[in-house]
Amino acid sequence: MAGEAIWLVNTAVMAAPLVLAAMGGLLSERSGVMNIALEGKMLMAACTLALIGASTGNAVLALFSAIGVATLMSLGHYLLTQTYKIDHVVSGMALNALALGGAKFLSDKFGDPTKSVAFLPIEVYIGSALILPVILGLWLAKTRAGLRLLAVGNSPEKCRQIGLNPLVVRFGALIGTGLCCGLSGAMIVTNAGQFGEYVTAGKGFIALAALILGGWRPIPTLVAAIGFGLIQAVQLQLQGVKIGAAEIPSEVWNGLPYLATLVALIVLGSKSRAPAGMGQH
Amino acid sequence: MSGRLIALAFGIFVLIAAALVSTQVSPVTAGKLLFEGSLGSPERISQTLVLVTPLLIAGIAVFVALQAGLFNIGAEGQLLLGAMCGVVVAQKVPGFFGWVLGAIVGMAAGAAWAYPAVWIKVWRGGHEVISTIMLNNIALLLCGALVRGPLKGTQSESATTDPLPAGSMVPNLLQSGDLRINLALVVGLVLLFGVARFLLRSVGGFELRATGANPTAAAFAGVETKRVMVRAMLVSGALAGLAGAFQALAYEGRFYPDFSPGYGFDALGVALLAGSSPYGLLPAALVFGILSSGSALLTIEGVPKGIVGILLGLLIAFFAAVRYREVRSGG
Amino acid sequence: MSAEAAVRMTGITKRFGAFTALEGVDLVVRNQTIHAVVGENGAGKTTLMKVLQGLHAADAGTLELDGKTVSFRRAEDAYRSGIGMVSQHYSIIPELTCLQNLMLGSEPGPLLDQSQAKERATRVASELGLSFDWDALAETLGPAGSQKLEILKLLWRESRIMILDEPTAMLSPADSDALYANLKGLVERGATVIVVTHRLPEVLEYCDDVTVLRGGKKIAAMATSETDAATLANLIVGRALDGPSDQTRPEPGEVVLELKGVRVLGDRGDEALRGVDLTVRAGEMVGLAGVDGSGQRELFRLLWGVARPVGGTLTLFGQDASNWSVRERIARGLRLVAEDRLHEGVVESWSLHLNGQLGFQRHPDREDSPQFTEELIQRFRTKARGIGDRIASLSGGNQQRFVVARALALDPELILAFQPTRGLDIAATEEIFAAMRAHCAAGAAALVVSFDLDDLIDHCDRVVAMNRGRIHTPAVELGRDRAELGRLMVTT
Repeated sequence: MAGEAIWLVNTAVMAAPLVLAAMGGLLSERSGVMNIALEGKMLMAACTLALIGASTGNAVLALFSAIGVATLMSLGHYLLTQTYKIDHVVSGMALNALALGGAKFLSDKFGDPTKSVAFLPIEVYIGSALILPVILGLWLAKTRAGLRLLAVGNSPEKCRQIGLNPLVVRFGALIGTGLCCGLSGAMIVTNAGQFGEYVTAGKGFIALAALILGGWRPIPTLVAAIGFGLIQAVQLQLQGVKIGAAEIPSEVWNGLPYLATLVALIVLGSKSRAPAGMGQH
Repeated sequence: MSGRLIALAFGIFVLIAAALVSTQVSPVTAGKLLFEGSLGSPERISQTLVLVTPLLIAGIAVFVALQAGLFNIGAEGQLLLGAMCGVVVAQKVPGFFGWVLGAIVGMAAGAAWAYPAVWIKVWRGGHEVISTIMLNNIALLLCGALVRGPLKGTQSESATTDPLPAGSMVPNLLQSGDLRINLALVVGLVLLFGVARFLLRSVGGFELRATGANPTAAAFAGVETKRVMVRAMLVSGALAGLAGAFQALAYEGRFYPDFSPGYGFDALGVALLAGSSPYGLLPAALVFGILSSGSALLTIEGVPKGIVGILLGLLIAFFAAVRYREVRSGG
Repeated sequence: MSAEAAVRMTGITKRFGAFTALEGVDLVVRNQTIHAVVGENGAGKTTLMKVLQGLHAADAGTLELDGKTVSFRRAEDAYRSGIGMVSQHYSIIPELTCLQNLMLGSEPGPLLDQSQAKERATRVASELGLSFDWDALAETLGPAGSQKLEILKLLWRESRIMILDEPTAMLSPADSDALYANLKGLVERGATVIVVTHRLPEVLEYCDDVTVLRGGKKIAAMATSETDAATLANLIVGRALDGPSDQTRPEPGEVVLELKGVRVLGDRGDEALRGVDLTVRAGEMVGLAGVDGSGQRELFRLLWGVARPVGGTLTLFGQDASNWSVRERIARGLRLVAEDRLHEGVVESWSLHLNGQLGFQRHPDREDSPQFTEELIQRFRTKARGIGDRIASLSGGNQQRFVVARALALDPELILAFQPTRGLDIAATEEIFAAMRAHCAAGAAALVVSFDLDDLIDHCDRVVAMNRGRIHTPAVELGRDRAELGRLMVTT
């Protein structure tokens, strides 16, 4: 009995940050901004939460700061891709480099490993991760703003013709991305207990993989992310267990999300399902 | 320069200044420390060149793909596989042929790791950035698993291959006191000039650049753009693999999981910083190398190492913005 | 025509730099009528409509709607006043459902009530006797369906004044008839419709009034009941019907290009070429007349080897050429002045020198000497500082001079020129046609697309007409008869 509960908890803990980040990616990419900077935004949020959580002891303030910093990064993303019209890949790379450097810098400079960090309970994040995809799904299907997001992501040019301003839509979408990445990064550091520059460990890219596997739709993306979470939970459980003579290296489990995405790209291609206006101005 | 670019430059300046002010180190001191830490003594110059070598070769790799319109974010994975395969071969084959064969196998491994990405791009329409990110992570895990498992050496407790015998390593061309210049760096320079000549002077290079700059016009001009993209990506992968193989065979002498501090990612920065001319790769690689190796001294003075990452990220953003304006204004 | 005019534009002038696109144009559209605006390409029709939509601000002139003076600063102002437009390039987004497309841009509120919206959509559609599967993706709609949805979009937005730009360009004859029947229905319910078109039969059959523009000026406005096709054609072109000028025509030589029953699919998957037959002989300069969108684009893509036929045969120099690569065609002497210069013809970020070699990079006689580029620049007097200039830094006209010079370099055998003189003055136009003529006299052949019929009649040995994916070849003695060609272009 207890074994099953641990499975469930482990899966939820592993999947939640992926879901949150993937929803951030969904907002951004469905508005047409390709987002390989999820990782960087999450890292900065994680770092901020740890710093503020340790120095003030106020968990709520820490969470809001984390979300604020991730949103700030996202606004930087808007600035680079929309105002300066820098290629979306390059902007993403630059933001990731900036975030890695920034997080290292801030944690080295202001971090104090002796102080304990104030955290919100992890259930807060798991709850949001479960609710968010549903809300997003409804929002996309049932609201004016959601419809416009989809439209701009498919063809900014035609939207301009209709009289919509793609920039406004993308601005809003990127703010949403920042919020999601803030939650995701906060959850990761909450689970880890302390900040280190490797704390996000490529989860931003796994979230991207879930988004692609889920065809840029909220619920399938949620399912893909839970699948990836399950894989990681399996890995935690099977650590040290031998099958036959050999132990399955943890890398095999860790690699599965990436491999699955690659296979999906090979089998399906992404042209047909990726937002058609991604990267367009 | 337009107002927007000035604003961007100003923003970047404020950010860096604020970071430095928070560490109570003046920008002048920081610059001096960076310089001393990277070029202050023959030993430090040698150390910097060790970093410049893979940055240059992998930078060429990314540049070639970029000229064909492809973002090879996968350079990091190709580099890791190249390094690992190079070391495996060099351990089996003694002497001169050890490193030569190692380098060749490293190139093949890099090219093989790049191929799925361009295949997906050309035949499935999947973005190469996504596929190379996935391939990078798989490469990292694969190398980690192999070095912890079957490739783990016997001489050490930690996950690493055994060191290579000195004889099968890439030799130093020059060694006087603490100043060392390895053959690998010279090969990198030769490659730079070779690739530059290819891109700027040959028909193949012309077609490659046309494909990258305007694929439709290239196709209308009789260029077989798909074939060109596949070849460019294979060359890019091979060069990235070579960068890794040389780093292992010339300097490190072994392979281990954290082998690359991100040479492949920095190479993308190098290629972007280089601008439109391949010859810009050399100064760009030097800038990245100097910043990375000079940061050691900064750390000692209490400036966290992350400042280099911040600086590089901002540099990339700034140059990308400038290049966009250039292309648009046609000037 | 009195105060009840739905639209009254008076003395509209619009300049773009030194170029005057509209000069004191008047347009009066009576309430609840279908009004046609006709004219050649470049006559100013589109600009006038953009002024009406608030997309361009006029430099002079006034605009009244229902007798009240208005001024539009933005497209949104026009939209609020009830003006809506269906452009030639539909704004339907294929990835969204029909209902989503219908609502987009003027949703009923922040929350979308699907069933309520569907109800209203069905009501709007039934007014026109149309029905849609609202939950289907718009990508399942053909051209006719997309256009119907666009028109419904205007009704959804409650536009009273509807502008349709070349509404029948993509439609089959049956769909065109249905469209006008729908428009009539709309007019009866209170709408006013402005149609911008090339097709005179449509104007005469379905429209109430017509305004003719030429060279940015209003030439005439009248009720269609008071005119006929010949009069309108003369007003549009503005010349008396001269007989074809007598040029000594060289004796045509061997067949260079032969098309038999060629069929090609267009971007939308419909058949853009529906069985094309065409023969061009050495020494001939053949003009291809037709309104924009008749299949010229697809024909050129086919001839150039970037599109493949789904039926029929393509023979070049006596050999089956269906599978020749672009490179092979260039080596055999085919040359192209591309339709879309910036996308297909040049690399914008490159210098003139590099662009000069684009296409010739594997040609056996390739020269990458500076002289080669210099000669290209001098041939039609391209204004540039030197061969190192970025082509993007040149004006459109100078870019055109350069790419035409390139298409005539290295001994062409078959010149495919899509609007070779676009954006050029008369002197340059004459020069370019003379140069092509000289190549033809030396044994080459040329196929020239232009939307200016007179350009073709004046310069080509014979002209064929393209209409809805087919080529109509007039009888030999009528090869330069503009009345016959006009008939073939716009009727049938």
